[in-house]
Amino acid sequence: MGLVRMGEIKVSKRTGEELVARGLGSCIGLALIDRSSGVAGMAHVVLPESNGSEREPGKFADLAVPALVTQMQQAGAVTRRLEAVLAGGARMFELGEMDIGARNADAVRTGLAQAGLRVRAAATGGNRGRTMRLTVGNFEVTVKEAGGEPVTLYDGGPAARRARQVVRA
Amino acid sequence: MTPRYTELQLDALRELANIASGNAATSLAQMLGREVHLNVPRVLALPLADAVDACGSPDEATTSVVIPLDGDIDGVVLLLIDPDGAAALCGLLGVEADSEIGESALREIGNILGTSCLNALVSMTGLHMEPCPPHLATDMLGAIVSSLALSQTASTELVLVLDSELAVAGEPCSISFVLLPTAGGVSDLLAPLGFAEAA
Repeated sequence: MGLVRMGEIKVSKRTGEELVARGLGSCIGLALIDRSSGVAGMAHVVLPESNGSEREPGKFADLAVPALVTQMQQAGAVTRRLEAVLAGGARMFELGEMDIGARNADAVRTGLAQAGLRVRAAATGGNRGRTMRLTVGNFEVTVKEAGGEPVTLYDGGPAARRARQVVRA
Repeated sequence: MTPRYTELQLDALRELANIASGNAATSLAQMLGREVHLNVPRVLALPLADAVDACGSPDEATTSVVIPLDGDIDGVVLLLIDPDGAAALCGLLGVEADSEIGESALREIGNILGTSCLNALVSMTGLHMEPCPPHLATDMLGAIVSSLALSQTASTELVLVLDSELAVAGEPCSISFVLLPTAGGVSDLLAPLGFAEAA
């Protein structure tokens, strides 16, 4: 199992391998999938903006999206075929003035739009933690909320061609 | 700039955490009428991802009581209790877990532990600190700790975690008692003790 820890980016084309971002709170799990070339990747994004810091691109939405796209390309993926699935960005506690979760979700979506990528499915916002799991090969993406059962967010098959949005306010 | 702490400063923080959690353990023992064991606190100064992992498995279900601090120090006091432990605590207080009154009892435990911890910190440092009303959430451990740390600092550079384990005698209940100050909060805690950060 490929754990994608906070700030990490992982790309795989090994059929059967799982990429997993556990315990997403205000962080975002971003999965990119190119079914034709069999390449999938995941980033565990922590904050919206890098503010000039070039280290650890996986941490910041503005750097993580292009960095993940580049690593996908290097593994043989074609950018225009990439499909994006995202989860996380919750507001766990009504603390502080910043809703980092919402800002993270916005920043990731902005980055995806700039790269010309489609968001196929998303489970963002709310106040529950989530674990996101992607299986390389069938490209199913599941999301489990705290205390809940895993739910298929993106089934990886031809039905996934239909645009599907699950967005929590 | 990444703040760095010397061994001496970390020792001072450990001692502070020891006394604060000792005070909290005494209050908990009085409230429950049970003996409460306290271990030597861990003081961790780690990058956020490592600090989160050090608290336990990121997707483990955990009941958390969060007490934000108001006053001279920014930060939060955080109680982490596994769900069985939360049920045991509610049982000792004669209330049903997973009910409104059970949640209220856990908040109250958070309030009392947070306040007794703060009293110790105030008397040692002379700083002014007050607890804000507690928040309660049962959720994934990693989601709780990372979101809290980020809402405090919006930075991932270095997080200071002061962590003690309180175990209630005869019950399957241990409470992880965590003090999560902001970077500025740490220097404010150290200065009155004579361990101001080196320039």
